[in-house]
Amino acid sequence: MSVRLMIKTMLRRKVVTALLLVQLALTLALILNSMVLAKQTHERLQEPTGLDLANTLLVQIKPTTPTLRLYPALGELLERQLGAIRQLPGVVAAAYTNQSPLLQGGNNGSLYKVGNEERNNLSTVPQYYASADIFQVLGLELKSGQLPQIPQSFDSDSSTPLVLTESVAQKIFGSDNPIGQATNQGNVAAVVSDFYGQRSADMVMYNTIRIAPLYGVDWGYSLLLRVEPQQVVSVRSQLDNLLRQVDSNIEIFHIRTLQEQHQRLYNTEYGLSVLLALLSALMLLVTMISGYSNAHFHVLKSQKEIGIKRALGANKVTILLELLAEGWLCTLLGGLLGVVAAVLLNQALALVISIPVLSGWLVVFTLLLLLLCVTLATWYPARIATRISPATATKTL
Amino acid sequence: MIELTGLSKIFRTELVETHALRDISIRVNEGEFVALTGPSGSGKSTLLNVLGTLENFDQGDYLLDGKSVKGLSDRELSTLRNEKIGFIFQGFNLIKDYSLFDNIELPLRYRGFKPAERKRRVEHALETVGLAARRNYHPSQLSGGQQQRVAIARAIAGSPRVLLADEPTGNLDSLMARQVMELLDQINRDGCTILMVTHDPDQARRASRQIQIIDGQLSDAVLYDPLAVA
Amino acid sequence: MEQLQYYFKISLISIKRAPLPYLLTVLILSLGLGMFFANATFYYRLNSDPLPQKSDKLFFPMMLLVPGDCDSGCEPPPVLSYSNVQKLGSSGIPTAQAAMYSSDSYVRLDSKQQPLPVRLRLTQRDFFQLFDVPVLAGSIWPDNSARYEVVIGKQLAEKLYGTADVVGKSLLVDDRHFTISAVINPWQMLPRLYDANNGSHISETEQLFMPLETAYDLNYMSATMSRTMDDTDYRQLATQGRTGALHQLQFWVQLDTPAQQKAYKDFMLQLAQSEQAAGRHPVHINNQLPALRDIVRYFGRESGDVKAYALVTLLFLVVCIFNASHLSLNRYISNQYEFSLRRALGASRWQLQQQLLVDVVVLTCVTLVFALLIGAASIQLMNYLWPFNRLFASWDLSLLSALLLLSLFCSYLVTLYPSLRASFGALNQQLKE
Repeated sequence: MSVRLMIKTMLRRKVVTALLLVQLALTLALILNSMVLAKQTHERLQEPTGLDLANTLLVQIKPTTPTLRLYPALGELLERQLGAIRQLPGVVAAAYTNQSPLLQGGNNGSLYKVGNEERNNLSTVPQYYASADIFQVLGLELKSGQLPQIPQSFDSDSSTPLVLTESVAQKIFGSDNPIGQATNQGNVAAVVSDFYGQRSADMVMYNTIRIAPLYGVDWGYSLLLRVEPQQVVSVRSQLDNLLRQVDSNIEIFHIRTLQEQHQRLYNTEYGLSVLLALLSALMLLVTMISGYSNAHFHVLKSQKEIGIKRALGANKVTILLELLAEGWLCTLLGGLLGVVAAVLLNQALALVISIPVLSGWLVVFTLLLLLLCVTLATWYPARIATRISPATATKTL
Repeated sequence: MIELTGLSKIFRTELVETHALRDISIRVNEGEFVALTGPSGSGKSTLLNVLGTLENFDQGDYLLDGKSVKGLSDRELSTLRNEKIGFIFQGFNLIKDYSLFDNIELPLRYRGFKPAERKRRVEHALETVGLAARRNYHPSQLSGGQQQRVAIARAIAGSPRVLLADEPTGNLDSLMARQVMELLDQINRDGCTILMVTHDPDQARRASRQIQIIDGQLSDAVLYDPLAVA
Repeated sequence: MEQLQYYFKISLISIKRAPLPYLLTVLILSLGLGMFFANATFYYRLNSDPLPQKSDKLFFPMMLLVPGDCDSGCEPPPVLSYSNVQKLGSSGIPTAQAAMYSSDSYVRLDSKQQPLPVRLRLTQRDFFQLFDVPVLAGSIWPDNSARYEVVIGKQLAEKLYGTADVVGKSLLVDDRHFTISAVINPWQMLPRLYDANNGSHISETEQLFMPLETAYDLNYMSATMSRTMDDTDYRQLATQGRTGALHQLQFWVQLDTPAQQKAYKDFMLQLAQSEQAAGRHPVHINNQLPALRDIVRYFGRESGDVKAYALVTLLFLVVCIFNASHLSLNRYISNQYEFSLRRALGASRWQLQQQLLVDVVVLTCVTLVFALLIGAASIQLMNYLWPFNRLFASWDLSLLSALLLLSLFCSYLVTLYPSLRASFGALNQQLKE
């Protein structure tokens, strides 16, 4: 088989070949970029959160009457709700908190070491006001210091003990022992393991926790439950009813596992990945149709030529390979154009969304995928071509 | 070289069976120049196709160079065609966007010759037909006679044992036809067996032997008796 | 007319002759158009101007009037404190001006009813004038002072009372009695640009409006963006919110003429200078006055995903057009013999072109139907994946006619080159083949 002669054949069908090349190139460009994006989304969803996502339930809730939103009625409501939840079989621990982890944004504030405001000021660190069980519910490990046990009001004059996650303690205090050190938000009492707080914070693992009454519930609050793995479904199904029985003056916004909450955090990216994957699949299908019709039509038009070749001694496999090789050559040429198109598309997309640059092995993989699809699409017409009788050569068509 | 015994070919449709070839026995010796004649539709082209293994047959046997072609696979038949048989068609059947060189080289490629060998053979064949200077021309740039000479070059480039020609001068004027016939004579003198379908009695007379086919049968017992010629 | 019928008949015959290639052409073209159109719908709606007649006259003033040093980039905060609004509101230059924020509430008619969660907009009298809110009945508050009077949307009124005739009736908002002073007609400002600073412009318009002063008295906390720049307790709006550096207010002004706009800019500059001179806000001056029509871009709230997908669907459409023309080229070349025959029988090129135009019309119609189906399905999928854009999924006449034109254009493109090749090819050669 001669590449030169194949290129000649392609040149004879300039327009059709050009159309096919453009399609192949754009298809490659799109598939490549969708894969990069899907990979990024997948990696983000696989990043460690420091949380037991599947076995932690989140109830987002708000009292519907003004009196229930203020202490002492609110404190009593929380006690009743948590008490009832703890009675449920399968519930390991439960806590209230002003906001759940795994949010886009929420309640947060600046954090710095007292006296070090200029140099080490973090502007957006999530602030959690929660009951003492929060550490057990979230499965946070104590790294140093002592966990506060009794809720201490933030409004009181004395400073509320502050619990930091490991990475924010590291950021603010470096190698110094953070325990007992003063920050703008109070003295550090303990350091716990990292967990995913808010996506739009300085760093997703930066968090501060206070064991305190809720500061205000105008935005609602969260109940978090650590549940035995087998009981997640059953506990979840009972929660709505149970909480309404405890007090009907509530609005329940949603009940989710932290897994679902995590997934929602990347909704936009996930959605775009799905849409691009769908479009890539469609594009591949369209290209296959094109490859098929191209080969089919080509075979129809060159029956005589194939017959001559058969008469001159080309066997069926040679004919099959010749046609497939034309497809492969086309794909490779389209692929080369496609890499250029993919880089351009990648740059264009990077202007509006965050997308990583293309990697070499993905290019190879995509090219192989495209080759496979083109081969599949060309196979049937090429098989038909092998059935052309060598006697066709002697007939005047 | 070629030995047909009791060969028949039947075209079947749902309603009718047509005996394209009926009980044909022919023997052609090495170095012969045989003309197949007969009216149109008599089956002479079908016979040529069968001889060239382009079509199969239903009954009888066909020995080419002492070996039966019956039951050979597509691959074996293709190799046989490629190595032992050269074709010349009435309509030349050159691939129109290949250069002369590419056209002649095509069967040599299927045979798996190395590039240097292919080049040598193509050039030799082009010289034989007197078109060496035009190796990069395309068929459309040539006259009919020249195109047929290219087809002949293609047919002989692989040094076949048998040359099958189907009305090789049918599309040519008389001057060009004569040139082509002289070329075939020369190839025959160099030792190649030639079978040529023609309806031109003048050309048939140039052959060493004539075989006439009418309605799929050999018309004259004397002509097809292999012993008579041997 | 009879000739046209004949052309349609020929068109159908040639479709019937090779239905699969035709179907594939239609499928591919409508896939491209459908996917493109679905996203174009969101793109068009998200970027549409809800107030074309005054979107260049409404402005969103921002000033760097904050205590202490500026922390990040020294940009003016996108929300103002109450005292900043007071200062900015004293100019007397704008035709209309209103400060606002949003909060959540529960409403019911009496304490026995189940409370209904309702999003509140806490604002001032001119809000309704600024954004052309259509009043159905009653009257908007006569001034900006605190009063237990709310403006209610028609849908909410019907939901609560079963009628829209509710002016003067009483309502419990978080168990406090309010009187309904006005009812507004169904009103959907899409996108809701006055909320673009915190990215809430893609949600629905509010159904309940309360005077800002009353909301501060009742400690309604902002449900979107509030920043405390000093020791102010953000829950204590009534006592600390009006004086402290609690930034949560959006402020819109209407400046109809260039002169007004110039005067307002000068006023902002003077205000910043006098604050600086008084030593209240020692950081440097940074005043901003973006217009309503630029507000989404100003705050970087454009939807990158829709844009990215728009680019990709456009590419897909291009590929589909290429592909469909490829298919239809094959189809026409198959019919080339017939074309040549017609020409040999005396058809002029123009007559053949007429035939092709009819082909284009047929292709457009079939493609349009499929494209609409695929577009609708694609929109469903996008609504599922991106529920936050759901409000922007509807089609209107201008969108649909754009699709029609686009389909026509694409069908023509797909038919044009192949038909040229088929009808202008060398006559005798094709007949000989």
